[in-house]
Amino acid sequence: MEFFRDTISTILAKQMDACTLRQKVIANNVANVNTPGFKKSRVNFQQHLREALGSGSFAMRTTNVRHIAAGPSGLDNLVPEVVLEKSTAMKASGNNVDIDEEMVNLVSNTLLYRLATRVRSDRANTMSYVIKGR
Amino acid sequence: MALFESFGISASGMAANRFWSDLIANNVANINSSGTPGDPANQPYRRQVPVFNEILRQQTGARQKSTVQAPGKGVQVSQLVHVDSEPTLIYDPGHPDADPQTGYVAYPNINILNEMVNLISATRAYQSNVTVLEAAKSMAVAALDMGR
Repeated sequence: MEFFRDTISTILAKQMDACTLRQKVIANNVANVNTPGFKKSRVNFQQHLREALGSGSFAMRTTNVRHIAAGPSGLDNLVPEVVLEKSTAMKASGNNVDIDEEMVNLVSNTLLYRLATRVRSDRANTMSYVIKGR
Repeated sequence: MALFESFGISASGMAANRFWSDLIANNVANINSSGTPGDPANQPYRRQVPVFNEILRQQTGARQKSTVQAPGKGVQVSQLVHVDSEPTLIYDPGHPDADPQTGYVAYPNINILNEMVNLISATRAYQSNVTVLEAAKSMAVAALDMGR
């Protein structure tokens, strides 16, 4: 087996990347809470992950390494996407940052990141146990 | 590393809101800084307000290749506006700033309630940025503890 190249480890790494990006986006939203005309952004990752893993949409089976899979794009091309939300407005200035929503997203994002690091860490520890035998 | 960029974004928010609360403090401190009505050389204090602007990310060649749309880089105070509002005139002929003809003194038109409400906004926004910074810090610590 390849060390840390399996699906779960790849997903965890991608998840951590997405969480880091989301943290940055939330920081920017919160920093601009009083900026007139500012529109918030959000990070779309979970949906892309679901598509990459092939659930929800149909996947074309490849029977040869040279076949190109249609449908799910695969994990390698999975990138989190920053989406600007222009449609809503919270305040008269046109700013649409909802500070409660941002704080809730912040907490869940931090916990998700900690979860991903914990799982990844446990996998590394398991590997260490297998190598050392103790 | 993007987490450190997040620190910088929160820092920009904290700096902008601290600057705002400095301006409010200055406005409140100068609430009685009077002037002579109609005398351009001796104007009353004028209220100062900041204008916040999002710092947009500079698009570089390396960034354009990625499909990830770049988020902003925080907030900045782009300009400092002196608010031109009509001064409040108070009749006080004995005052050194009084108009010799009319006896009126010009005081800055500062609404203390307005300033206090803005101060609450600035304080809360500062606190929110600190909270985001704490969260980013705990994420960085979690990453450091991996594999222990």
